[in-house]
Amino acid sequence: MRIANKLTYLVLFCGSTLFAQNKELLYDFYEIPQSLMVNPGVKTSQKWHAGIPVISGLSVQGASSGVTVNDLFANDGIDFTTKVQERLLDVMGNKDDFSTTSQIEGITVGFRGKNRPDDYYSFGIYGETDIITYWPKDLAILAFEGNGGDNLGRSFDLGDLNLRGEMINVFHFGINRKVSEALTLGARAKLYSSVFQFQSINNSGSFVTRQGQNNVYESTINADMQLQTSGVKGFYDIIEEDTGTTQKDVTSLFTERVLFGGNLGFGLDFGFSYNLSPQTTVTGSILDLGFINNSKDVWNYTFSGSTTTDGISIILPEDIDNVNNDLWQELIDEIDEALPRDENESSYISWRPVKVYGSIRYDFGQGGGSVLDNCGCAVNGGSGMASNRDYYRNSLGGQLFMMKRPRGVQAALTGFYQRRFGRVVSLKGTYTVDKYSFTNIGLGANVQLGPVNFYVLANNLLSYFNIADSHYASLQFGFNIISWNGN
Amino acid sequence: MLSAMKRVFYSVFLFTGFLFLAQSCTEEQDFDQIDDLSITPTLASGLFYFESDEATINSAGGLTTFYSQEVNFDAFNEQYVAERLIEGVITYEIDNTTSKELRIFIDFLDEAGQPLDREVFTIEAGPSDTVVREVVYGPDGKPIDILANTSSLRVTANNLGDGSSVSSAEDPKIIFRSGAQFVFRLK
Repeated sequence: MRIANKLTYLVLFCGSTLFAQNKELLYDFYEIPQSLMVNPGVKTSQKWHAGIPVISGLSVQGASSGVTVNDLFANDGIDFTTKVQERLLDVMGNKDDFSTTSQIEGITVGFRGKNRPDDYYSFGIYGETDIITYWPKDLAILAFEGNGGDNLGRSFDLGDLNLRGEMINVFHFGINRKVSEALTLGARAKLYSSVFQFQSINNSGSFVTRQGQNNVYESTINADMQLQTSGVKGFYDIIEEDTGTTQKDVTSLFTERVLFGGNLGFGLDFGFSYNLSPQTTVTGSILDLGFINNSKDVWNYTFSGSTTTDGISIILPEDIDNVNNDLWQELIDEIDEALPRDENESSYISWRPVKVYGSIRYDFGQGGGSVLDNCGCAVNGGSGMASNRDYYRNSLGGQLFMMKRPRGVQAALTGFYQRRFGRVVSLKGTYTVDKYSFTNIGLGANVQLGPVNFYVLANNLLSYFNIADSHYASLQFGFNIISWNGN
Repeated sequence: MLSAMKRVFYSVFLFTGFLFLAQSCTEEQDFDQIDDLSITPTLASGLFYFESDEATINSAGGLTTFYSQEVNFDAFNEQYVAERLIEGVITYEIDNTTSKELRIFIDFLDEAGQPLDREVFTIEAGPSDTVVREVVYGPDGKPIDILANTSSLRVTANNLGDGSSVSSAEDPKIIFRSGAQFVFRLK
């Protein structure tokens, strides 16, 4: 039980602190078995592989498209409130975000079909946490500056509140098939077991205070806002009760949720690799085409309606005989009635954040020695395009990444160069441009010592000179055992 | 096999060491600065609106009080608000298109009904210019405690003229408007 507890908290900890989003270094880095997870149609050559549980795939990444930690907390002698005003409120827009996507592999196993050596099957379990919060620009300004002064007449957009997050456990099974010498296709089915989910993504409305038609000022609010949650209240109730068995109860509920005891969903991944010529390959994949049906432990909060108020009013002769002196409370009640705040337990569907990758790669520099030439499985033993990569030490290309986010598609463009040093070491360097950074240089290394495989991939290396000033930083690494023969 | 494992681990530590010990560094950060954050929004709101037509004033007669009422007003004395109120301005605007000189008293009363402050407005017979008065509270004006302790307002409207004349203006009225802009310290 102790070990189970520790593992649970490890997963919880990792799930909440290890971040990974665009995996441009891992994509099409086919020497690493985990590249199957970002393209189920990547070319595979091994006979089987097995990830070392829990440490076969860890990634660390954080992203902010606006302010950095250093912008606010550098010990530079500038007044902190001034920094918040000038570097946060004056600069960040409602499309800037703070986001994280994390994955931690629990189990990953792959093997080639005995009767169908062109098929490579893989399955496993991984935990994923995906959270994004857009900067609620107008609400932040309203809180910081208020609706008075220079903000009289300014319409504050309530739709600026936009956030989404979830923690899930994913059980997956994929098939990778070499269809022809040039084409490899892959697909992966996923069962999602949700730990929790929350979203507030379709808010709209405004709040404005202006010179009034009757009174000096009048304030108008139109709101259509909703926060949907599933799986949150169960944890909240346990912590709120604080019975002395909180830790045990949280662990128990978490374990139940990761093992299909919570809300469930289904998703699919697809991918391909296609050789345009012996030296040119295009690839593509679409991941997490799926949804989760949130019907258990649902708690939603709504805030909608519209009203205009200019204070309390006495109009004669209508109110001449009105001796009710509780006009203030009446005003408050009227506003509450016009802007009802409700709770409900209606189920809802949450869509997974779909990701799309695409790449083109040009191989050159014939090296002779094959990296993966001993499969023993008749997959890459032939000549021609199927094994073209084995004969080139260098690869140069570009990749595109797109991810569906609540406020639209988030894209990244990557150029890469890969160099292989015999069977043992392969290095990949990337330069990526996205909304977080224009100076994202990454470096990945794959080391193969006998059957033992280790990889480490680090992004935005320039940021390591002052990590606090980085908009984006990541580290991924993992261990696998890989076999190309009967061992 | 064991030797290979060792080499892998050495490679791991060398590589990560290179990344994080040789390259990773950060300028000095002072997270205690957040204690210095000052959030002082200015909130604006309409407060109190009073309107009377001339017929109602006449029906009460001349040289008399045609309206007096105490109304609950907890806008400022809610604990959360009262504790954070720093300074502000209440703006009054009065339009009189009746034929009478009028006087309006606004008394600020505490929970026991005791007067804390009074604003008196004497408005010439109409048509007259809009009377505008800005009353400052806080360090540069009246004590902020007046508002923080105000639980109700007593509105008294006196007719200083006769009880029969009628203005030639269309729909003659006395209109009393008020609004406030106050600075609060949220942090």
